[in-house]
Amino acid sequence: MNRSRMKKISMSFGILGVAAILLLHYMVFFWVPTELSMGIVQRIFYIHVPSWWVAFISFGVVALCSGVYLWLGDDRLDAAAVTAAEGGMIFTTIGLLTGPLWGKIAWGAWWTWEPRLTLALLLWFIYLGYFLVRRSTLNPERGKRLAAVVGIIGVLDIPLIHVSVSWLRSLHPEAVVLNPDGPTLDESMLATLLVGLLAYSLIFVCLFTVRYSTELVDRATQMQDV
Amino acid sequence: MIDFMKYLRLNRIGLVCLVIVVCCPAVALAQSGGAPLGSQTLGRAYWHVFVAYAIAWLLVAFWLAAISRRLGRVEGRVDHSVDD
Repeated sequence: MNRSRMKKISMSFGILGVAAILLLHYMVFFWVPTELSMGIVQRIFYIHVPSWWVAFISFGVVALCSGVYLWLGDDRLDAAAVTAAEGGMIFTTIGLLTGPLWGKIAWGAWWTWEPRLTLALLLWFIYLGYFLVRRSTLNPERGKRLAAVVGIIGVLDIPLIHVSVSWLRSLHPEAVVLNPDGPTLDESMLATLLVGLLAYSLIFVCLFTVRYSTELVDRATQMQDV
Repeated sequence: MIDFMKYLRLNRIGLVCLVIVVCCPAVALAQSGGAPLGSQTLGRAYWHVFVAYAIAWLLVAFWLAAISRRLGRVEGRVDHSVDD
């Protein structure tokens, strides 16, 4: 795929993403009703959940690309994995910072060492390790392979984060959408959440394509210099 | 004596009914979370929402800025290699 086509794709995702973001902000601040028990602070939910959604998707991409990279050794897959890991770190950080802002009002504490929060923080540290491991060896190829292994191991934390609320004693609210009995949210809240998920996904895809094409060109020019 | 027992039983039932009527709204309130938690710290909650949204957009903007800086550097290198 040439650069101009990548640029067009990222531009279209970017325009759609910005439109979805504007719609999300309108819905969050002017349309969706205030939740009865938590009040205004519940509106953090509409960015907190989408940020984790995108983080999980991006770490899934990291694991998939890393696995295939270890198998085929194609450098483009490593470029895709490192790009997705960068985005995953950004969105995990958003999730980790917005959660305590809700928790301080709802629980009266910024942070508790309960299973879901602890596993989520562990995920952040695993992917921090992903970047550290890449630069820890003198041989870049070896660094890439070690990072790929960390990327694959890290994704195993995601199902644990998901089931930690129901399997372990957890303070964190249970799933309200991916629930065996169906979504338990009010329809307007569910619609706002879905717009949030779409907006964050589009923004991620837009930035991912730009970053990925930049990474490919960067690697190609470095190879030429060598 | 029997009349007295009947009177007592009726009174007891009345007393239980009275307790139920008085306590039910309290129990219902307790079940619904009592006073909404958000309204207890309303001003502060607004700040928390504002900071949460600000953090989200600052971090996305940070990633965007990092990508554009990298893109600029790569384009500079490509232009340089074309000139050479």
